[in-house]
Amino acid sequence: MKNIKLFIKNIKEYSNYAIRSAKAELKSEITDSYLNWLWWIIEPLCFMLIYVLVFGYIFKASEEHFIPFVLIGITVWEFFNRMVTGSIKLVIQNREVVSRVYLPKYVLLIAKSYTYLFKLFISFGILFVIMFLLKVPFTINILYMVPVLTIFYIFSFGVASILMHFGVYVQDLGKLTNIVLKFVFYLSGIFYNINVRLKGKAAFLLLRVNPVAFLMNEFRKVIIYGKLPSFQGLAFWLGIGLVLTYIGISLIHKNENSYAKVI
Amino acid sequence: MKKIAVSVKDLHVSYRGLKKTSIRSTFFNKKNRKKIEVFKALNGVSFELEEGKILGIVGKNGSGKSTLLRAIAGIFSADEGSVDLHDNSISLLSIGVGFNKKLTGKENIYLSGLLLGFTEEEIKTKEKEIIDFADLGEFIYKPVRTYSSGMYSKLAFAITAILETNIMLIDEVLSVGDVQFRKKSYNKMKELIFADGRTVIIVSHTTSTLEELCDEVLWIHDGKVKLKGKPEKVLKEYEEFMHRKK
Repeated sequence: MKNIKLFIKNIKEYSNYAIRSAKAELKSEITDSYLNWLWWIIEPLCFMLIYVLVFGYIFKASEEHFIPFVLIGITVWEFFNRMVTGSIKLVIQNREVVSRVYLPKYVLLIAKSYTYLFKLFISFGILFVIMFLLKVPFTINILYMVPVLTIFYIFSFGVASILMHFGVYVQDLGKLTNIVLKFVFYLSGIFYNINVRLKGKAAFLLLRVNPVAFLMNEFRKVIIYGKLPSFQGLAFWLGIGLVLTYIGISLIHKNENSYAKVI
Repeated sequence: MKKIAVSVKDLHVSYRGLKKTSIRSTFFNKKNRKKIEVFKALNGVSFELEEGKILGIVGKNGSGKSTLLRAIAGIFSADEGSVDLHDNSISLLSIGVGFNKKLTGKENIYLSGLLLGFTEEEIKTKEKEIIDFADLGEFIYKPVRTYSSGMYSKLAFAITAILETNIMLIDEVLSVGDVQFRKKSYNKMKELIFADGRTVIIVSHTTSTLEELCDEVLWIHDGKVKLKGKPEKVLKEYEEFMHRKK
C-alpha cells in the first residue's frame, strides 16, 4: 500500500516534467533531419510495405485484410519492443540527471513511454486511413481498443519497470532480452494469423501464454474484424500487468537511491 | 534555542556489493562473489547545522565530501544513520542538469527547473529574471548546442541561482564564464549564500573562499569528521596537515 501511495504522489508531482521531457525528446528527434516529422509516418509505412511484400506476396499470406492486419502487428510489436529495449539502458543513459538530482526513477520510464505512445498513435492513425481507403468496415466494437490499449500499456510498463531496475546492475541483460524478444517476435503472429496457421492446441496455448500474441489478437478482433474482445483474457492480463507494475515500482523504490553509486 | 536545519546522524555510505555484474559472472564465478570489495566512503559522520548558517566542507580528494553532499541531497541512500532536513527544500547546485542540447535555451529553463523540483508556475514567474541574468541576448531562442561553453554555463548558472531553495548545497562551483560574468556570478553566489535564513553547505578546495564565506568549517578525513569549528582554526590546521604530508 505504501508503495502505491508513493507512486501516485510521485506521478502527480512529476507529471509536468515527464510530459515536457517527452516533448523535448520528440522535438529533438526531428530538429536535425531533412524530412523532419515525416519520418514518424514514413517509418511505419515502410515497415508495413516490407512485410506485406515479403509475406503477402512471396509467402502468399491469405489472412483477411492482410495490410491492416500487418500494420496492427507492427504497431503493437514496436511499442512493446521499444519499451523493453529502451528500459534496460534508461538509467545509465540518464546518468547526468540521476547522479545530480533526486527524481523517482520510473519518471524516466514514464517520460520515455510517452514518446513511444505518441508513435503508436501515429501508427494507429495511419491504420485508420488505410482501413478507410481499403474499405474495411468500421464497427462500434472498435471502441474496445481503448481498454485493450490500456491493459497493453500497463502490462508493458510492468515488464519495462522490472527490466529497468535490473538493467542498472546486470550489464549484459540487453543481450539476453534481445534473444527473448526475437523469440517472442516470431511467436506473436505479427505477419501471420496464429489461429489459422497453428491449429488446435498450439494456437490455443500460444494465445494464452504469450501476452503480446494475445493482446495483438484482441486489437485485430476489435479493430478489423468487428468482434468483441475476450473479457476474461483481458482481465487476466490486466491482473498480471498490475502485479508486474507493483513489483517493478517496489523494486525501484527500494533501490533507486543506490543507482547513482553504480552508474 | 536556534532552529536546526540539517542534522546528520552517524552517516555511513559504502559501495559494498553494488558492483556491476553480468549474467555470466553470477552463474559461473561463484567463488568470486564472496570477495566483494567494500569501499566505505563515509564512516560515521555526524553533525548539525543551524538554520541560516554557512558550512564549509574541506578534505583531500576521495575523503567523501561529494558523497556526503549527495547523501544530504537524497541522491545516495545511507547504509546506516540518517539525514534529517526538518522539512526544508533542498537542492544540490548542479549546473545544466537535464539539458537537451538540441532545444532552445528557453525550453531548457523549464526542463531543468522542473527536474530541480520546481513547478511550472514558479518557473514562469522567474523566467524573465533568469533570461536577464544569463544575458545571452538572442541566443536564448537558439538551440543550446550552438552555445559556446561559456554561454552554456552562464545559462546553467542563472537557472540554479535564480530558482532558490531553503538549503543550498554547492560542490566546488563558484564562478563561471568570462571575467565579467565571473564577477557577476560570484557576487550573485555571495548574495544567495548570505540571503536571510538560507542554510548553505559548500564543498571547496579553495580555503580563501571558505574563510570569506563560512560560519563554520567541517573537515572530513577518510570518511570521518576530523575537526569542526571556526573557519580560521579548522582551515589553519587543515593547511598545516596538507603541507606536512607533502
